[in-house]
Amino acid sequence: MSELTPRKDLLDIASLSLEEIEYIFENAAPFKQLFQRSVKKVPTLRGKTVLNLFYEPSTRTSSSFEVAASRMSADVTNFTVSSSSVVKGESLLDTIETLQAMRSDYIVIRHKAAGVPGLVAKHTRASVVNAGDGYHAHPTQALLDSMTLREVYPDYEGRKVVIVGDILHSRVARSTATLFNKLGIEVGVLGPGSLVPEGRHDFMKRLDSWEDVFDWGPDAVYLLRVQLERQEGQFFPSIAEYHKMYGMHSERIERMRQLGAYLMHPGPVNRGVEITDEAMGYEKSLINTQVENGIAVRMAVLHWLKPETDKD
Amino acid sequence: MRLFKNGSIASEDSPEPKQGDVLVDENGIIQQVGETIKGVEGARTVDCNGCLLVPGMFDLNVHSREPGFEHKETLATCAEAAIHGGVTGLVLMPDTAPPVDSGNLVKSLQDLVSEVSPISIYVSGCLTKQRRGEELAGFSGMASQGAVMLTDADHEIPCPDLLRRCMEYAKDFDLLVTTHGDTPALTKVGAVNEGAVSYRLGLPGIPAISQEIALDRDMRVAQHTGARLHLQQISTANGVKSIASAKENGTNVTCEVSPYHLLLTEEDVEDYNTHFKLNPPLRRQSDCDALVQGLIDGTIDAIASNHAPHTEFEKSSDFASAPFGVSGLETTVLAIFDQFISRGVFGWDLFIRKYSADPRRIVKLEPVKIATGEKAQFFVFDPNATTTISRDYLKTKSPVSPFLGKTLKGEIRETVV
Repeated sequence: MSELTPRKDLLDIASLSLEEIEYIFENAAPFKQLFQRSVKKVPTLRGKTVLNLFYEPSTRTSSSFEVAASRMSADVTNFTVSSSSVVKGESLLDTIETLQAMRSDYIVIRHKAAGVPGLVAKHTRASVVNAGDGYHAHPTQALLDSMTLREVYPDYEGRKVVIVGDILHSRVARSTATLFNKLGIEVGVLGPGSLVPEGRHDFMKRLDSWEDVFDWGPDAVYLLRVQLERQEGQFFPSIAEYHKMYGMHSERIERMRQLGAYLMHPGPVNRGVEITDEAMGYEKSLINTQVENGIAVRMAVLHWLKPETDKD
Repeated sequence: MRLFKNGSIASEDSPEPKQGDVLVDENGIIQQVGETIKGVEGARTVDCNGCLLVPGMFDLNVHSREPGFEHKETLATCAEAAIHGGVTGLVLMPDTAPPVDSGNLVKSLQDLVSEVSPISIYVSGCLTKQRRGEELAGFSGMASQGAVMLTDADHEIPCPDLLRRCMEYAKDFDLLVTTHGDTPALTKVGAVNEGAVSYRLGLPGIPAISQEIALDRDMRVAQHTGARLHLQQISTANGVKSIASAKENGTNVTCEVSPYHLLLTEEDVEDYNTHFKLNPPLRRQSDCDALVQGLIDGTIDAIASNHAPHTEFEKSSDFASAPFGVSGLETTVLAIFDQFISRGVFGWDLFIRKYSADPRRIVKLEPVKIATGEKAQFFVFDPNATTTISRDYLKTKSPVSPFLGKTLKGEIRETVV
């Protein structure tokens, strides 16, 4: 494995070099092989502490980081702050001071406001991993998605992926699409006009309908989760209409099968909204692989980052 | 007595400043202006070689934060910052706590001002009680106490009918109605201009139409009622177009632009820098270009800093939660000189018209002149020096500025008031 100048934090995808991305993937693969063994633990982070700081509820990402850290023998503290208990205007800097005093080596943070992980990173010696900030970024999701796609398409360059759903509010869409683009994968987007903004990244090619999508011939279809709880403004008339226009059902699965296209979703799936029950059984679904690769990629990220606390 | 010698006098009437000496007496009255004034007995000579003497600026849009938010700024620090920035007159926004929505409050604020400020600070009053956009505030009381304009500051009057009544009633007192151009239903929780930058940063965007629709509406109502309307902080190219066409149609409207919207864009927000979080937000380069053009062709009447102090602590929060606004009184002259005058985009005459003379005319005051018999209100400006905008340099309580840490061309050596 090649060596690389270590970084303190992972805040987004945009700032990663191709070399760094390759390094993470190179490390993730052996970590994944470890999962097949009876003893799934390595001593890499023994004596280190990882703080899982979640300002937004998340079972999946939080657990994935927890499993990743434990498999590397780190001590993990989970700290979930229910957003209702955080009074608006409560000082983030004060919270950071507190964290600093806890002397964690790694802080995994999810926050509803874009840019918060970067703000925390500036004020702490710990390595900060962005586990999702507002609509901005979710870099480990992007890494696990790309790892998953590269496993099924070793010749991934020039492949096509269409991302379906809420392109406006999705940090997954932003990060995953950015990484796909960096890797030379073409990105199409499909969704209601109200959720596919004009200001989206230039490389996101707008497709107007499933017909359009199938004509384009994607190698994978990536369905975004519909944020049922996020209805501060109405962006489409009803869930039923969304499903009809953008959901995955048996007929569309049949077209997928003809194309040989894979199906991806960041989870958790709203059954009957993004995907019907029947479609969930599609043989080329990568959804479970995504979860497994999530742990491997997060281990690789923790392995790669170098906290400044190391200098103590 | 002080003799300002060997400088050049700038004015709104001439593109090139004219060589001249100025003698100011101990009462602050200009005794004499001449090409060369020989040594006057008892007068201290201030050597202004290579410098300009510029009429004191007038800022139409200042938040002094007193009463109510003295941790951000006080009238005293606000006046000090103004003088430091070459500004010798300004209009306070009424968004204090309590909001200035009655004659009594106008009076008591003016009393406070006269205790602490060596410069002319004028008071504006609210259009509606408590700035709530529900009922008319007491116009006659505020008018009789000398409020120079009525505005709910950055709160838009939600109901067009109420705005119409405000304008009709303001006309009875010949009061200027001032609005900030915002459509809250479109702005929502937006933090930056809606577009590629808001998408990249994952921040909620504020679309250009949020301001454009509001100022279109306000100008329509002004046209219908015949009231005098002033539009604050124009930020988009389409807004400039609308205003130009309303002016052609004879609408009694004036408008202002901030130095920030003239020379910064959404790209400057970069890595969530809250010192670039403004209301309205910084827009695109094409908007800046249209605003500069509008200033030059006369569509835009004034420059106003929208001095909106917040503490560094308040601004150190995440971008979406941080308050809108930055301080502006001390950097406007330097920034405009650095970016436009020193590069020949426009001259001192235009700048003085837009930031000194016309703003005073908008609120029916006489422009300040450097002329015999006038009260001395000018500053000494060295175009060959530079100024680094540091925390130490700033007199405002709020060292929050997009120019913090930057070095700008020019130096304000002294402001005479």
